[in-house]
Amino acid sequence: MARFYPLDVAEVRRETRDAVVLTLKPRDGDGDAFAFTQGQYLTFRRAFDGVELRRSYSICAGRDEGALRVGIKRVEGGAFSTWANQELKPGDVLEAMPPMGAFHTPIEPEVAKHYLGFAGGSGITPLLSILKTVLVREPRSRFTLIYANRQISSIMFREELDDLKNSYLGRLAIVHVLESETQDIDLFTGRIDAAKCAELFRHWVDVASVDAAFICGPEPMMLSIAASLREHGLTDAQIKFELFASGQPGRAKARAAATAASASDAQCEATVTLDGATRTFRMPKQGESLLDAALANNMDAPYACKAGVCSTCRAKVLEGEAEMITNHALEDYEVRQGYVLTCQCYPTTDKLVVSFDH
Amino acid sequence: MSETMDIEDYLLQGGVMTNPSNAPPRYRGELLRLMATFVDSELAGSAGFAEVINDAPGLKARIAASRIVLEKTDHAERVLDLMGTFGADTARYAVHHPWAARLDRDAEIGAARRGSDMRLSVFHYPLQGWIDAVVMNVLMGRAVGIQLQEFSRLSYAPLADIFREIAPREARHAELGEEGLTRIVATEAGREAAQRSVDFWRPRVSASFGREGSTRFDLLRRFGLRHRTNEELAKSWEAGMETLLPTFGLI
Repeated sequence: MARFYPLDVAEVRRETRDAVVLTLKPRDGDGDAFAFTQGQYLTFRRAFDGVELRRSYSICAGRDEGALRVGIKRVEGGAFSTWANQELKPGDVLEAMPPMGAFHTPIEPEVAKHYLGFAGGSGITPLLSILKTVLVREPRSRFTLIYANRQISSIMFREELDDLKNSYLGRLAIVHVLESETQDIDLFTGRIDAAKCAELFRHWVDVASVDAAFICGPEPMMLSIAASLREHGLTDAQIKFELFASGQPGRAKARAAATAASASDAQCEATVTLDGATRTFRMPKQGESLLDAALANNMDAPYACKAGVCSTCRAKVLEGEAEMITNHALEDYEVRQGYVLTCQCYPTTDKLVVSFDH
Repeated sequence: MSETMDIEDYLLQGGVMTNPSNAPPRYRGELLRLMATFVDSELAGSAGFAEVINDAPGLKARIAASRIVLEKTDHAERVLDLMGTFGADTARYAVHHPWAARLDRDAEIGAARRGSDMRLSVFHYPLQGWIDAVVMNVLMGRAVGIQLQEFSRLSYAPLADIFREIAPREARHAELGEEGLTRIVATEAGREAAQRSVDFWRPRVSASFGREGSTRFDLLRRFGLRHRTNEELAKSWEAGMETLLPTFGLI
């Protein structure tokens, strides 16, 4: 199982008013674990008010830069991104899991390919890693980047992209689409929706020549661009996605306080929420797992291994307490937040409230 | 571009998920269940087939059977590694069931799961020698092709990618089976034995597509994890069998 490693923060560079780029250094001996493929992300963990948060941020460095860098844009109300933007400084230590993610296509140095990238806001980070890597490692390939932002001042990596365009004349084309700033060409103003894609494909990008497309941005943008690319003949295998984690809650809620201690009664009143529906039933405290009790009460609870290994049956205890016999899947921080593997879970209080929807 | 939308609306509209941190809990549960079913079925299928390698009539057949065993194990590993990114203990998972274990040939299990073992029900039945194994592989090979076509467009991109990558190799396994079956039905005795195996496996492979009117289907469809119903997939497989089997002189 992937584990966390310490990374020393070597540099914190302010990229825009609300975004920073961190340069990170693995400790001696950990370098191999942090060798990355273009377009991958790192998952960080940090405790805020005693509750651990995990956040994933894409690597923005190319594979040939000899550095590990991530870009972090501050999200309104986001605990981790705000902390990284306001308090993090060189010399601090972050904890991260090795790079993960499959937002890339194989490098083929001898092949001449045309890549098309779409980035919305901080969605530029993995695309920057990809385009820098393929421009170096595939000397015959070219890259067209369509980059959406609200305004000029919010464009991350604006100067670096300009420099890259000059270094790779004829191989890197960049189109900035700005939502609230008028440009010389109307096509480059507004949001990237289906209509905008259709216009871009008519006047600016020959989709028929595209070998692979990469999209990273918020949900509506991903939907409209993917639909448009499919309409223009790209297959699912040619379209790679990275959804950035806009939907993540800013701050994890602390575990609900457990109710008063149990009586000696051997029965528990279990209340289980699944797919928005809540059912209450009585179950013995011993001899039957919470999962089996839920299944016996005709609830279609998810499970796979029933051995505490796979974590399919994970749910959150909202009230009451339960004992987990075996746990090979949940991390300590998840257990502290109240998550249980229901297949291994036996109530210890007279009342137990659990949700599969949390 | 800070505009966002509810993740379930996004999935309903055909949106794609890309990493464990943006998967909502119920989605995560169903996705893991789907992956576990695939992993268990590949490991059970591979373990069962391993035992008939020695029954293969020649070296080419033996190599083909070994290759199927090797590659199905590899496919299980790829999906299990992905389960690992969700926190599953992959080392323990790989050995937590006796994958070669089988029930009796005449066990009546329908499409039901057996306890915590998530393999498709068809993989609970034992193979009886080489001809039986080849026939099972031909019938199941086509079923796997249809399942992979369905799964290649599911909404969790890293998993859909894996299914797209392995689909050609699984298709090759089915072809190897069909090449083997051609040699078997060349004699009347072989054809008769193959027909007996078809009679045994056909209803059981058909049942592996799952129950009709599955209540979970609607949830899976909203999550973009399924597109065609169990009945549609089973019908499509049956139609394929109607054309395929007569080419071997089988019904």
